Amino acid sequence: MFRRIVKNFGPEWGAAVMGTAALCITMQLSSEVARPFSALLYVGLGFYLLTTVMFIAFLIPWTLRFFMYPDEVRKDLRHPIKGNFFPTMPISFILAGTGTNKLGPMIFGPKFSYHLSVIFFFLGVIGIFTFGYLLVRIHFLNKEMRLNDANFSWFIPPVSHLIIPVLGTCLLDVYWAGTALASVFFVISMVALGVGFFNFLFVGSMVWRRYVCGTIPQGNLAPTIMIGIAPTAIMVVFLIKFIEAIEASHGTLFGINFAAVFPFIKISAAILWGFSFWWLFLVIILVTHYIKIKEHPLGFSWWAYTFPLEAFTVSTGLLAKCVAPYFFRGALLGLNTLAMATWVVVVFATIKWLESGAFFKPQH
Amino acid sequence: MKIRSVTIALTIVLIPFISGVVLFNAKLHGTASERGNFISDTRYENKGIDHKGISIDWSFSPDWRYKPLFFPSKEYLVFVFHYKNDSEYDIELAPSYTFVPPPHRRYSANEEISMYIEDDVEDELGITDETSMSYKISPGATIHYIVTFEKPENLNHFYIDVDIFRDDTLRLYYEKKCGTWVNANNELIDKYRGRG
Repeated sequence: MFRRIVKNFGPEWGAAVMGTAALCITMQLSSEVARPFSALLYVGLGFYLLTTVMFIAFLIPWTLRFFMYPDEVRKDLRHPIKGNFFPTMPISFILAGTGTNKLGPMIFGPKFSYHLSVIFFFLGVIGIFTFGYLLVRIHFLNKEMRLNDANFSWFIPPVSHLIIPVLGTCLLDVYWAGTALASVFFVISMVALGVGFFNFLFVGSMVWRRYVCGTIPQGNLAPTIMIGIAPTAIMVVFLIKFIEAIEASHGTLFGINFAAVFPFIKISAAILWGFSFWWLFLVIILVTHYIKIKEHPLGFSWWAYTFPLEAFTVSTGLLAKCVAPYFFRGALLGLNTLAMATWVVVVFATIKWLESGAFFKPQH
Repeated sequence: MKIRSVTIALTIVLIPFISGVVLFNAKLHGTASERGNFISDTRYENKGIDHKGISIDWSFSPDWRYKPLFFPSKEYLVFVFHYKNDSEYDIELAPSYTFVPPPHRRYSANEEISMYIEDDVEDELGITDETSMSYKISPGATIHYIVTFEKPENLNHFYIDVDIFRDDTLRLYYEKKCGTWVNANNELIDKYRGRG
């Protein structure tokens, strides 16, 4: 039985860890809004523990599959949809590191948590860059790729790079600020930001072209439209965390005086948030279309609804710290409730999907 | 869905909430006897500072204890700043805080610990903490902000820089005299403004 599970344990399972991990941050941010919501900090801690259990439970078969069934892994890597889900597990390392940085001090104290976050950071970075290169190589050399293969799951590799600076800047804040390791975090974060940002633009235009000039994907890919919210939302998270990191370094990071550009950073963050907000309505329009034509089947792909929405919620919560606080705090509470409800629905849907036996059906 | 599947799904969904309640209770019982004391409050000692239409006061606790769930407790330096707008116009503040112990390495405030102890500090001082990093203060209104620093071993003196104004920094000096922390001096110092 265990061998069958390992054989069929696709790369997409990291998306479930991602969709659960980000809720610990949305809960933590919501707990800060007002005193009556303080208890959400402990719900966030509960999500952090659940994420840890899921992360370990999924990482074992995910890793074993590389050694026990390398042919299955190769098939998945070449698949125009499934291949892009490989970075979800390294992203989970980065999210586990971020959760440990924010909520870990409640359990282990600051010193242990900040060191553990660094380990997660480097493991995540290695995984993300490795799969990033691997997937680009496969895309470039695969001559069978067609216009109608482009889909929003292609955003996952750029998103994986964009999420590196989120933890990178969290680590630059407070504990590691001013240490030799800080410059390492800074350089890696800036490189990853550059890679993620430009890949997001390139890939985004390709997928956009498919939606305009080709046919729209089948209904089982409908949830992947939601992934479009994530890149700009994550950039907002990075920018606000970057402001905090700059403050921790007293306005100047590595000889560059950033204090003077705070207003520009805040405006940029608000503009990027606006794009994600616009995309949320685009998702509603397109998913409504799929539901109308009765093409929105139950599947594991529903997890694509969770993390991008949660990333958008986190971006809203962080934006509330420096731009129009009353508006964004209200939006944060509303989005956190929506993200929570979505997660509950997706958990039930996943169990129903597993009950149907779909996990063991060939998916290539 | 089969009953077994519903039960599994329900268990997964409830885990964060149930464990959250358990951890909240553990925390409540684990720290009830700890926390710390605010040994000084410039609001009552008339030692605050008025500058550019803002009156700045602060409460100080040199030994606020915070206990992680599975690790022993540690002491933190906790300041609560009280900013009152004495001008006729709204003002926007975005202060930042730096702790400088010997041998002059600069540390920022730990926002996470501030967040965890927020409710206890609010109860102790009867205030509501402002969580934004920048905030508007209406004429006559007061905003309170909790700032927590990790406390090094064998600390005998330190200063903290409070960056509120564009041109100068408020520096607060503290030293230990006969086992008691004393606010030795306060000054406004010119900021260095480089070209970077």
